[in-house]
Amino acid sequence: MNTMRIFLTKLATHPLALLVLFIVVFFGAPHLRGATLQILSFALVSILFTQSINVLTGMAGQISLGHAAFFGIGAYGSAIIAKAFGLNLFLTIPVAAIVSSLIAYLLSYPAGRVKEVYLAMMTLGFGQIFLEVAREWTDLTGGVMGLSGVPSASLGTLIILGHKFSTVDYFRVLLLITACSMIFIRNFSQSRLGRSLFVMHYSELAAGSVGIARRQTKQLAYALSGLLAGISGGFYAHLVGYLGPESFAISRSIEVLVVAIVGGLWSSAGQVISAVFFTFLPEQLQLFAEYQFIAYGLILTFTLILFKQGIGGLLFLPPRFIRQTWLATAQQKGQAAVTGNAKNEPLFLKIQTAPSDISVQAITMRFGGLVALNSVSLDIQAGHITALVGPNGSGKSTLVNIIAGVFPPTSGQVFLQGTEVTAQSDVVMAKKGVVRTFQDPRLVPHFTVRENIMLGAHAKMHYTWLEAGLSMPRVHLQEAQALQQCSAILQLLDIEAVAEQAVESLPYGYRRMTELGRALLAQPKIILLDEPAAGLSDVEMARLAEILIKLKGLGITVLLIEHHMDFLTGLVDEVIVLDSGSIIFKGDMLGMRQDPAVIAAYLGDDEVQHA
Amino acid sequence: MDFFLSLVIAGACVGSVYALVAVGLNLTFWTTKTLNFGQGAVMMLCAISTALLTAQGISNGVGVIAGVAIVAVVGVIVERIAVRPALKTAGSMGWVIATLGFGILLQGITSKFFGSQAIPFPEVLFTVQDVIDIGGQNISLQYVSIFVVSILIIVVLEGLTRYTVLGTAIRGTAQDMELAIVQGLPVNLIVSGSFVLSSVMAGIAGILTAQISGTVDPAFGFELVLMGFVAAVLGGMGSSAGALVGGIIVGIIGKLVGGYISTAAEHGIAFALLIMMLALRPEGFFGRAEVSKA
Repeated sequence: MNTMRIFLTKLATHPLALLVLFIVVFFGAPHLRGATLQILSFALVSILFTQSINVLTGMAGQISLGHAAFFGIGAYGSAIIAKAFGLNLFLTIPVAAIVSSLIAYLLSYPAGRVKEVYLAMMTLGFGQIFLEVAREWTDLTGGVMGLSGVPSASLGTLIILGHKFSTVDYFRVLLLITACSMIFIRNFSQSRLGRSLFVMHYSELAAGSVGIARRQTKQLAYALSGLLAGISGGFYAHLVGYLGPESFAISRSIEVLVVAIVGGLWSSAGQVISAVFFTFLPEQLQLFAEYQFIAYGLILTFTLILFKQGIGGLLFLPPRFIRQTWLATAQQKGQAAVTGNAKNEPLFLKIQTAPSDISVQAITMRFGGLVALNSVSLDIQAGHITALVGPNGSGKSTLVNIIAGVFPPTSGQVFLQGTEVTAQSDVVMAKKGVVRTFQDPRLVPHFTVRENIMLGAHAKMHYTWLEAGLSMPRVHLQEAQALQQCSAILQLLDIEAVAEQAVESLPYGYRRMTELGRALLAQPKIILLDEPAAGLSDVEMARLAEILIKLKGLGITVLLIEHHMDFLTGLVDEVIVLDSGSIIFKGDMLGMRQDPAVIAAYLGDDEVQHA
Repeated sequence: MDFFLSLVIAGACVGSVYALVAVGLNLTFWTTKTLNFGQGAVMMLCAISTALLTAQGISNGVGVIAGVAIVAVVGVIVERIAVRPALKTAGSMGWVIATLGFGILLQGITSKFFGSQAIPFPEVLFTVQDVIDIGGQNISLQYVSIFVVSILIIVVLEGLTRYTVLGTAIRGTAQDMELAIVQGLPVNLIVSGSFVLSSVMAGIAGILTAQISGTVDPAFGFELVLMGFVAAVLGGMGSSAGALVGGIIVGIIGKLVGGYISTAAEHGIAFALLIMMLALRPEGFFGRAEVSKA
């Protein structure tokens, strides 16, 4: 089974095999029967449309139950412009697709504020609005009577630059566009932006912690998805030559979801198979056509529960989100760079200027009636390792959240190197070099360790989505550099052995290390660690302590929340004890252990005996 | 003015059904933070079953009870096969897709075996000719009856959840499911129960609407459940009073737009309201923004 998957994956990702497939289909097209060519064209439209779901739902995790609307905007848009101005589809489809993309971009504003149930409802509602407009705006769309006379190859009315486009010509253009789109999406998915969509799916908080701007990322997902849906809709219009509003009803939105889910969300290869399958099946098998709705219902009800990876997961290895060829060269170079450095330290992490300090002044935080922090002031010394300890509910995580910019304090101020940064967002703070980890590691489960760590480099790379999709030289340059740094971090954390394994398959300790790695790749000046030693074995803990000391040596300021006193002893320069939202002790470990207030509030007799 | 008043009254009556749907959606939202996206098919199934049974000569009352009983069972099935496993394995997207799929399945089965033609629906409460005089307006008793029935059910349900042990248990489960389990509450039963009740309310809403439209077909219910969503979101998910106010507002605005601008825009405006509300105040008029401590 696995050998077959490896073989098929090699085949499906091999450039030569794909080129041969393309050439065979391209030049074989004239030899096909007209009806088969027509169905194949529909399959290509379906593949394109499914890619739009792949981006939005598969990658960014944003469900859409009204995607037929974007398909419809592309279709009606291109048809209307073509009819009104007599322009050809090389102009009308791009224009219509851009309109679709813009509308998707606008929808991302309200959609960006809601999740799950609400998002599903909103997109459902959006689909219905489009349908009503298509039905009722008779002057523009022909209303329920539909829009006929759309220039179409099958009707022989598609004339481009004086040439009458045959169905074969049309098929070839469509094939070329589909192939280009798929390469674009592949490149995009293996870029910082593609990866950033996935992290939005699993944890928006984690995204913010490494400087991935949430709103822009969602906007990108919507706009790109709208663009692809628009292109596919445009090609649909000139394929059928007639548009009726019912073609863009909820059933089409559901159909594309079925194709995407059966193919396997985020598996392009699986989706191609699924799209071809679902286009041919009703044509070839009358029985299926009859039971189509029942089949769709069954598929939607059970696939995600029983068969989550779809066809893609069955036939292929999971797709990777790093360009493997770039990785190979980066590793060779990286090896050379690191071996030249005796202490095995990732030197790019070294703080070139003076280490940074952070201080909070009279921070108060209330959640409803609960006072989590009560006028807390403290200085975290530059270049030190500072520990924040205290019983559960004492306000440690709240303080870290405020410093990291997760939420603004009710009152009080935060200063980074003397500059006020109160209430700046976590994205801004991450870019200023304040990066944090979480109490429970927030990673993309199906990403490998390396892919997860690469998320940290997001804000350090600067290429755009267009460059990513077209795989411009700048992308290669920046990715290669980040990959090299990533390798150095893997080495520092001693997790190279598991670098290519999906984190969901790894024990807890590795996940913690992976998250630390992600934070480090963001090149922090100040790193905030929320219980980094929790759940680690003694060996892992010793390793972590070594790493933290190395980080200190590189000039990185470390603030950690920790309960494990043995771990802190000998590691930290200063310890701050919080209790019920107030600081009850500042000083060194020894002083803390002897402080009566601390003993009473936190350690208790039991803990003292252990310690 | 008369025209205006008649639109408002009709809107309030239709809106009360939206409110009923919304309250049904709230029930499962309380217990599991999920909704049945196939609720439209549940309404359809209830109305079609009633119509088919009464067409066989069974009395209206028995037909209605049988229809409601059928969808009550459907409620249990939906929770068992589409919601519970999806919550365990597939994350947030799983149950949306699974419940939607189950609705499509019901719709597909119905149209396969009973045809996709519209079936005449019996006049369960009053006839089209029965009217009542309200403020000089002749209002159909059917409209009045759906208003009264809907409001009555909502009030009774609200009373039950507020003042009975069962209600306390449901609210407890809503607050903190894990704690409820630890406290020994039969959480699975409560969750199942919420889906049954939700289906029953959807079924009743289906019957009430079907008797105004006069016919039912397999696609029936889809728009109605969307309007229920709008009502629920407008009022704030989870709030009964919100659902009531939200439903009636949506009903009235829809009818006014339909009467003065275009009947075509009647539903479009509701969805536009939905998107606006989600953009500006996702917690709704009556909801409170969740205080979360990250």
